[in-house]
Amino acid sequence: METYSEHLRDVSRFIAEYSAHMMACGVHTSRIVRSAKRIGESFGYLVNLSVSQKNIILSVTDTNSHGHYNEVTDIPVHHISFEHNSELSALSWETYDNHLTLEELKEKYYKIINAPSIHPLMVLILAGLANASFCRLFGGDWCAMGIVFSATISGLYLRQRMAAAHINTFIVIIVSAFIASLCASTSLILDTTSDIAIATSVLFLVPGVPLINGAIDIVEGYVLTGFARLVHAALMIICIAIGNSLTLILIKNSLL
Amino acid sequence: MILLDILSDALFAAIAGIGFGAISDPPFRAFRFIALLAAVGHACRYCLMTFADIDISSASLAGGLVIGFGSIWLGKFIRCPMTVLSIPALLPMIPGKFAYNMVFSQIMFLQSSLPADKEKYMEMFFSNTMVTCTVIFLLTIGATLPILLFPKRATSITRRKKS
Repeated sequence: METYSEHLRDVSRFIAEYSAHMMACGVHTSRIVRSAKRIGESFGYLVNLSVSQKNIILSVTDTNSHGHYNEVTDIPVHHISFEHNSELSALSWETYDNHLTLEELKEKYYKIINAPSIHPLMVLILAGLANASFCRLFGGDWCAMGIVFSATISGLYLRQRMAAAHINTFIVIIVSAFIASLCASTSLILDTTSDIAIATSVLFLVPGVPLINGAIDIVEGYVLTGFARLVHAALMIICIAIGNSLTLILIKNSLL
Repeated sequence: MILLDILSDALFAAIAGIGFGAISDPPFRAFRFIALLAAVGHACRYCLMTFADIDISSASLAGGLVIGFGSIWLGKFIRCPMTVLSIPALLPMIPGKFAYNMVFSQIMFLQSSLPADKEKYMEMFFSNTMVTCTVIFLLTIGATLPILLFPKRATSITRRKKS
């Protein structure tokens, strides 16, 4: 009996860690709930969980012995990762279909979350090219694209360094938006589409993941977490606007 | 010439999709489909706006729907949840120019003293805010609708086929 309840405790702690990690890397709520329930089901346990922006409360019940275990866990700080989103989701199906043991499941889980992510330099170059293409889509010329490319790299590099130093997210966004748009404002010296360059230079900061996840959560009935995500996204957008405004206040006479 | 315009629009949207995706660390196998969806979605909006004279909001909804349905269909081939494909593909459709004008007109409104100027910037602020908010809202609806229509497929997209 003792070992059985230990197993229940270990599975519950694993599910708590798993769902908190999924929440931290930007997965929408219903997927987290389904994946957690699926893993519990493969061990013969019933999992109920309540997810909020900062914590997850879960209760795991053994349907045979009616023993149950509760756990409240904090959601860690983690960057958004689609890789973890897909791999962890697939892991829950693998556990369900192949009846993995807890040890196998943990081994695969740690392998996924410790796998190296894309090199930061590669991200910088790709994001720079992306924002430059974005500038093109809005009608910017080649010169403006070059300026946006370098402005994005400066802004994103700053963001990566500040995030690594654990500076507050909102301050990170304001400073990155300010620096990126200030770099883009060098286009005013040249004869180019400078307003488009300044407008697009900050768009790499747009919080697409919380925006879409928030909407998905709301329509799927997780209104509270959905609103929490949308409020967070709205605050991030306001921060982008503040950073951009600081540049505009400095240069507005040249723009008119 | 028209074809060239559409292709260049699709190409730049694809690059933008890949780059914005890279910031969120997607699985390597997802990049080609993110690029494809971003290109098709943006080109669809571009065509509707340029040739059918449809407004940006409705065209964005159409683009969002193309990306939403595309991601639920393509996601199955590479076992990626649909949001992994749809979110980076939607980002190139964010109305950045309108969002910028929103901030710009707000600052100009606050800093101008003449009533005529204030009125001009107030009007500019409202029209740009309206477009920005509506487009973002409709893009989200477009990407979310497939989940509501095909819940079973959307929830088992990462499941390996039983052999």
